[in-house]
Amino acid sequence: MKKYAMVIDSSVCIDCKACMASCKVQNNVPRGYWRNWIKHTIPDFSKGPLTRTHFQPGGCMQCDNPTCVQACPSGATYKDPQNGIVHVNEALCIGCGNCIKACPYDARFRHPDKRVPDKCDFCFSSGRLERGLLPACVDTCPTKARVFGDLSDPDSDVSRLLRDKPAVRVLAKGGIDTKPNMYYVAATAPTDWAGEVEFPGAFTVMATLVNPVVKVAVGLSALGVAVMWAKQIFSPDKEESEHESSAPGKD
Amino acid sequence: MNERMIHRHTRLSIFMHWFNAFCWFALLLTGLGLIKNEQLNPVGAWFPSLMRSLFGGGENLLMVHQYLGLIWAGAFLAYVLFKRRETWAFLKEVFTVSPASDMLWLVKMNLKMTMGRKGLQRFGLTPDMPPQGFYNFGQKLFAQASVVGGVVIVVTGLVMFFSTISMDNPGPAAWSRVIHYLTVGVVFAGLLVHIFMAAISREERPAFMSMFTGNVSEHYARHHHPLWHAQVATEKDKDD
Repeated sequence: MKKYAMVIDSSVCIDCKACMASCKVQNNVPRGYWRNWIKHTIPDFSKGPLTRTHFQPGGCMQCDNPTCVQACPSGATYKDPQNGIVHVNEALCIGCGNCIKACPYDARFRHPDKRVPDKCDFCFSSGRLERGLLPACVDTCPTKARVFGDLSDPDSDVSRLLRDKPAVRVLAKGGIDTKPNMYYVAATAPTDWAGEVEFPGAFTVMATLVNPVVKVAVGLSALGVAVMWAKQIFSPDKEESEHESSAPGKD
Repeated sequence: MNERMIHRHTRLSIFMHWFNAFCWFALLLTGLGLIKNEQLNPVGAWFPSLMRSLFGGGENLLMVHQYLGLIWAGAFLAYVLFKRRETWAFLKEVFTVSPASDMLWLVKMNLKMTMGRKGLQRFGLTPDMPPQGFYNFGQKLFAQASVVGGVVIVVTGLVMFFSTISMDNPGPAAWSRVIHYLTVGVVFAGLLVHIFMAAISREERPAFMSMFTGNVSEHYARHHHPLWHAQVATEKDKDD
């Protein structure tokens, strides 16, 4: 079983956006939408010639605690146990948008034509991994800032990088650790851009209110039926049964 | 069976009843199989897993659920369009209630079914029931829930069906699922009582049989639906 991850050395990113462009071409990402991104710090120009900007490539972090999957009622979005990739089964999805809201990284968008969520899947659905190719963004990166591989293979580039160097992750606000599989070597910036995990109202109402109400309603009804059934078996009304059986004769 | 029988259900009504029953059963099972999320599925994740194995994947399950739902709704739409008078008569019958006597009937019926005649006596009630028409108040309540619930289920179902086809805002689909699930749950609670009363309880056995034969005995009609029986009798007299 594989566990795909990305280890990124954001210090060598030059913000060329080749990863974003190649992803768009490879995956037919519609105009105006992106599956991956390069974030940047706000430069402080008061430092004059010492002004620096730090660039940070990213995308779906294929979390081990994927809140998007937890927010999906039907299992249309799911974490692949074979490789750890979070997929979208477009044929099962009804486009309710729960998962898009539940992602603190804003890594999903609603595809304007297909009306189902679209996201980075490490180029799995484009067939690149199958053919032994790296994801398009990794393949195209001129400074090799993005490194892709299998964390469960100790000899993979990602495993060696994480073994040799300390790494940080960008975490969601609000205390829920989604356990992202995107690591930044040594340090990165910005790190405060992720939002809070937000389960949409429709999900919360169904989980905390509607589901208990339905269970109680069906439970009470079943209890009533059980009592009626027991009564019919153990203490049927005498006259009633006589009245039923003798009835045709009386008329 | 040498007793005089009274015609109660047409062949078409009988067909619609069992068609509805089949669709409800199949849609309930496939629908429950679609709720894979363990936080939401009332019976647990094993059921959706089982249904997905049987149907060869969640997407097939969804397709069967959606198209069977459309067929179900389409059949009822056709009935309403082609049988306007019958539909109107049915709706008028099930939504016409006489609150005072019907509530008394409901209380008495509950006591009678759970505690028997002794139960009625204990609360100082006589064993006779307030007279009922073509449907008794319990049947009316369930019919009302089925009609209103059915409309809500179809509308929310259509919203979800068209969500990925033509809707640019995901909100309606998300909330439709909540309402869809709640409505099915409430009607299902009623369905348990409906099935018990019809298929298991002794009192209503003739009514159950009439859902196959279309007829009930005059004795049953007089004792269980006296107002309807009186109506049928006067019509008969007029004809004679």
